Amino acid sequence: MKNKKVTLDFNELRKGGIIKQRQKDYFILRTRIPGGYLKAEMLAKFMQIAKKYGKGYVHLSTRQCIEIAWVYIKDLSKLIKDLKRIGILKGACGPRSRNIVACPGSSVCRFGFLDTEKLAKKLDKKFFGLDVPKKFKIALTGCPNSCAKPQENDLGFMAQGEPEVDLNLCTGCTLCAKVCEQVCSRAGKPAAIIMGENKRPVYRKEFCFFEGDCVRVCPVNAWKIKRTGYAVFLGGKVGRFPMFGFKIAEFVKEEDVSRIIEKTIEVYKKQANKGERFGEAINRIGIEEVKKEIL
Amino acid sequence: MSENKAEQILDLKGVPCPMNFVKTKLRLEEMPLGGILEIILDDGEPIKNVSASIKEEGHKILKVEKINEHWKIIVKKQ
Repeated sequence: MKNKKVTLDFNELRKGGIIKQRQKDYFILRTRIPGGYLKAEMLAKFMQIAKKYGKGYVHLSTRQCIEIAWVYIKDLSKLIKDLKRIGILKGACGPRSRNIVACPGSSVCRFGFLDTEKLAKKLDKKFFGLDVPKKFKIALTGCPNSCAKPQENDLGFMAQGEPEVDLNLCTGCTLCAKVCEQVCSRAGKPAAIIMGENKRPVYRKEFCFFEGDCVRVCPVNAWKIKRTGYAVFLGGKVGRFPMFGFKIAEFVKEEDVSRIIEKTIEVYKKQANKGERFGEAINRIGIEEVKKEIL
Repeated sequence: MSENKAEQILDLKGVPCPMNFVKTKLRLEEMPLGGILEIILDDGEPIKNVSASIKEEGHKILKVEKINEHWKIIVKKQ
């Protein structure tokens, strides 16, 4: 074998989730797991790759992905071929849209209103790895508990449910008003459900957090979820200069999520300077202006 | 219809989540179908969590009543 010099285009590698390590000639492989859902048989394949190319361990990233460090420079092209053959997806670094994170969602979680797994997988096909001014992170969360932290992503979707009560079924036990008061008081707000005349609950939508505690607690199922949708947060980030996303919409239907992402990326690319996160651009331009363009 | 009279009483005052639900579940398991259990729960998280969990397990809550600082719920095993 000739000792041929390895030439690498670092930017091209970064695009495919290969990150230069602190140590000379070693790289970290960043994979991608849409929504953080992985079949057990795939997990075994990650283990094989970690043993073959790394040091036999993996690191779990905050974006629900597996990273494998200690890949030697001369093994990179072989690794990339192996990943393709096995079906392990590569992640993204640099100025690109990232792995979509998701909470467990309604398929298993008792709080979840919407199926975040299904949606994450669908959106990944369309919106992963796109070129953007800096980074673009999307999070999907199944209820206002916000486990997937939609408020700290460039674009976050938080499922919510609006309740309604059937007074014919209500027995006047007052539990709904009690749990509602517990929820609302934590935010320093008046309760959305108060007990009215003849021990009948009165719903005041303007104070509601749409978390569904009343529905879960009602002993006779008098409270039901009338409609579900997503609240949309825009411009959130952490990093060196953290900021919370702006809530720009509520009860967005699932079929409109794709369109909103598409539009948001388009506006981000148009409005932000190179190297600028969307939140920073929004602070410069004004949220109302940006909101108008997206919705 | 006859009055829903509790055959057993489970006093869970001072028992935190999720032990209060575990105890409820175990007691219900010992009872026959259609059996009626009265449970006394603390205000706050206990009443909220335990009633939601009982419902999820498929049992029927017949009555909920606030008694001073506690809650009394009557559950029918399904």
